Amino acid sequence: MTIRKKYLNWLVILFLSVVIAVVFQQIFTSMTEQGIASGGPYDNAAAYPRLIAILIGVLIALQFVLSQFRSTENDSDELVVNIADLRRPAILLSIFAVYLTLLGILGYHLTTTPMIVSVMVLCGMRFSLTTVGAALVISFVLAYAFEVYLKVVLPGGIFSLNIPW
Amino acid sequence: MLIDSILSGYGLFMTPMAIGLTLLGVLFGLVVGALPGLGPLMGIILLLPVAIGLPPVAAMGFLIAIFVGGSCGGSISAILLPIPGTPLAAATLFDGYPMAKKGRASDAIGIAISASAIGGLFGGVVLILLAPALAQFASNFAPPEYAALAVTGLIAIAVISKESLLKGLIAGCFGLLIATIGTDEFSTGYRFTFDSHHMLNGFHIVAVVVGLFAISEMAYQTMSDDLIKKPEIEIARPGFGSIFLTLKHWKNLLRSSTIGAFFGTLPGAGGVISSFTSYAVAKASAGPDEKYGEGAEGGVVATESANNSTVGGTLVPSLALGIPGDASSAVLIGALLILGFFPGPTLFEQQPEIVGGIFLVYLASNIFLLIAGILATPLFVYVLRIPKAYLIPIVLLLCCIGTYALQASVFDLFVMLGFGIVGILFRAANYPLSPIVIGIILGPLLENNLRRSLLISDNGYWIFLDRPISAILIIVNIILIAGAVWFALRGKAHSNTALMDKH
Repeated sequence: MTIRKKYLNWLVILFLSVVIAVVFQQIFTSMTEQGIASGGPYDNAAAYPRLIAILIGVLIALQFVLSQFRSTENDSDELVVNIADLRRPAILLSIFAVYLTLLGILGYHLTTTPMIVSVMVLCGMRFSLTTVGAALVISFVLAYAFEVYLKVVLPGGIFSLNIPW
Repeated sequence: MLIDSILSGYGLFMTPMAIGLTLLGVLFGLVVGALPGLGPLMGIILLLPVAIGLPPVAAMGFLIAIFVGGSCGGSISAILLPIPGTPLAAATLFDGYPMAKKGRASDAIGIAISASAIGGLFGGVVLILLAPALAQFASNFAPPEYAALAVTGLIAIAVISKESLLKGLIAGCFGLLIATIGTDEFSTGYRFTFDSHHMLNGFHIVAVVVGLFAISEMAYQTMSDDLIKKPEIEIARPGFGSIFLTLKHWKNLLRSSTIGAFFGTLPGAGGVISSFTSYAVAKASAGPDEKYGEGAEGGVVATESANNSTVGGTLVPSLALGIPGDASSAVLIGALLILGFFPGPTLFEQQPEIVGGIFLVYLASNIFLLIAGILATPLFVYVLRIPKAYLIPIVLLLCCIGTYALQASVFDLFVMLGFGIVGILFRAANYPLSPIVIGIILGPLLENNLRRSLLISDNGYWIFLDRPISAILIIVNIILIAGAVWFALRGKAHSNTALMDKH
């Protein structure tokens, strides 16, 4: 199954349209309530984002119209993306999202090694002692470098798990 | 003034930390440059969180050295694999790989490193001579000139984006919009903060840049089929004799370095255009016995000296005006801002020691590149053998810890992930990412100076045409856009004609 790049372009246009809608929603609510959506250049903090949002609106409208009139055979927008190719990036982002969510709860040391192992297995490595060992080494070497040399306190989570190096 | 600046920066540079980090930066830059898919920008982004906790000259030395090393590192994989580690080294492949096939891989890498270092030093001379003069000229600028200049910087980047003018402009404007999030400097009102204290200062630029470039790149890397494959590469051991091989092509070296430095000073042009242009010029000027494309030393000299000379050129508008020449220099400007320094004429006037220190770290980076690059080549070859299945989680973890370290905030990590998804979407739809970063950097410069201009103006927006320099810049902007549209239409007409001929 494939998806045409043209539709990905539409997805970007949709995303930017939502951004523009949020800009105007904020101008008419939050900024108006604060009294910063009117007046001269000093007081009116909404004028500039409004101008940029309108500019983006004009540009994406132009982009949308142009994409409709393009010739089909030699246009890069007509290239296709295989949906199956997107499986691994989608899983990677999911693993990463779960990792970030658990990082604050369980802390760096409990979450990082499983994340690295998951990514390695996703990339085609076998789940083995070597993989787990490599993940442990990567996790602890980076933690040591940041905590000892750069004095960064990594998230300890609800168990406050931090290694006193 | 120039000598004073360098002398005052000498003390800041001559510390074990600054020198050591400059050397480390060059080595790290060479590694990330050599690894296909990473490159100097990614190297700078990954270690930016580390750098901003350091003294200013050491921090800038570290990051600039990564830029310098990374701009050269791509040539190693272009010559050996043959896959250019970065687009900067794409033209090096034309003659570098044929040299390797003829059993001259060590010579090719040695020439690439020597030409890069010598070209980089040439770029350094241009930087040292041109940046203070440009800063001096810009010291007369008022808000209208700065606002017009910010627009010029953004348009130039968008115009030269390899995707399309329209997409480049959209991406740039998206960056400008992101820059408005947070507390307004004039009215102190909150914009797009959604009552969250995390948003009061907007999104941290490092979280945004790491997400856009590093996370999206790692997601793209997982799509390849050779994630656990170890490339079979022969160990190359270049010697210092390569320097003499390079100097034999001194005319080519000088010409290509000049082209590189020139393109570097133009916002948006960058190393890829300069290396291909230099290659084309060198090929056109070569004698019939120099077989370009079949392993000519001159081809490697031309591309590598040009792309590293571009680094020096790129730093000219970045330091003197605060206008980044490309995404890497935009991130460097971001680093300077985080460190508490504002690039532009005031930096040259009020903190000449920082400017002098930056000049010195740039020159030192190129000298270290020459020595360490040649000595440590076998190490980079070894790194090329590491399967991507190990590199991807390491890069992801570096992104995470680095971004978390900025403000000890898990919120920043989710910002990074969010922009990672935006980056993937934009790349998939062929939208360039660099204009977003340039937009974020130029956003405050543009908005603040636009509003200041309107505050001092008696007749609104006409102030931009009343002042000669801002009027010229606006005309330049119009010409840039008109030219880009004309070229796009002409290209379209050509491709349509070709299509009709095909039928």
